[in-house]
Amino acid sequence: MAKRTRTVLLSALLLTAALAALSPFAEAQEKATTDFKVKHVIGLQAIQHNTKGQATVSKDALTFTSGPTKSDVAIRGIEDVQTGADSQRIIGGTLGTLTMFAPYGSGRFLSLFREKIDTLTIEYRDTNGGLHGAIFTLPQGQAAVLKAQLVAAGAKASPVPAQEATKK
Amino acid sequence: MKLRFERRPLISMTLGTLLLLGIVAWPHPAALAAQSAAAAAPTPIHASALQIQLIQAEDVKLPAEFQMAMYEHVVEEVDKTHRFQHVYRDGDRDAAGAPDLVTLKCTVTGFKQGSAEKRQVTTVTGKTSVNVHLVFTDKNGQKLFENNVEGKVQFLGENLRATFDFGKKVAAVVRQDFAPAKPTRKA
Repeated sequence: MAKRTRTVLLSALLLTAALAALSPFAEAQEKATTDFKVKHVIGLQAIQHNTKGQATVSKDALTFTSGPTKSDVAIRGIEDVQTGADSQRIIGGTLGTLTMFAPYGSGRFLSLFREKIDTLTIEYRDTNGGLHGAIFTLPQGQAAVLKAQLVAAGAKASPVPAQEATKK
Repeated sequence: MKLRFERRPLISMTLGTLLLLGIVAWPHPAALAAQSAAAAAPTPIHASALQIQLIQAEDVKLPAEFQMAMYEHVVEEVDKTHRFQHVYRDGDRDAAGAPDLVTLKCTVTGFKQGSAEKRQVTTVTGKTSVNVHLVFTDKNGQKLFENNVEGKVQFLGENLRATFDFGKKVAAVVRQDFAPAKPTRKA
């Protein structure tokens, strides 16, 4: 009997240890899927255009954080979430514009190097009922994941078009 | 005889000056055209508030990001014109209280998605353009005026830049046809 109790206790201890050891991985995995590196193109209050930051989905809101600035979109105010695909120059911004004037057409050559990106468009209403549209760009394949999280949190989304569905 | 010779340059100088003054004072054809255009142009409309409706694209397939970017740029750029005390968004409940509310309805009539890569490599191809029909109506739904605007990106910038160009052009229409907003009274 004592031997059996000892075995049960030992297995319980081992199970607890295993769970404790696995929990940081599980947390990290969860964190990895809830934080998205995005670029805010337009549409969020008090956030400048083309600001890079992090988007996080919580129970009540989609939060965009860029350094000290933060903007929230209430999940219940979201009326539609749509994904799209686009591409952008690998060397962008001011440097990208300056390379256009590089000699011997090298700027044009650099324009050929582009990366595929996803776009995420969110239609939402503020507390007064005013319509807003926020657009984000994300690394390829991330928009669908973020959309799924928003829908799971309670955001409304129009049905996926047949073309988009067949791509997946 | 001597006196006659002295008078001649005086007379020619006077005549020359008069001729020059006549040329300068004569209205230039371009100035005349501008004057007549100003006389023919309708007087600017006074309104304290404008409500911008969501961009409609019934017959044209317009990506969602273009539709929302156009809407956001129009709201931002029209607000910058300072022609209205309030610029309301689609569905804003406060708009109902504005006495002389003007509504702007934008309908996309054409859209061509170009390629930023082609633009940057060739300079002459890959233009992205969006054609929109604007209708301004008063609170009773009476049409005030309408206009057509094209937003485009031809050289520098990604495709979405066409939506920024569209917003700028709508703001130019507003600036031209609406009188500046009266300053609000401070409490």
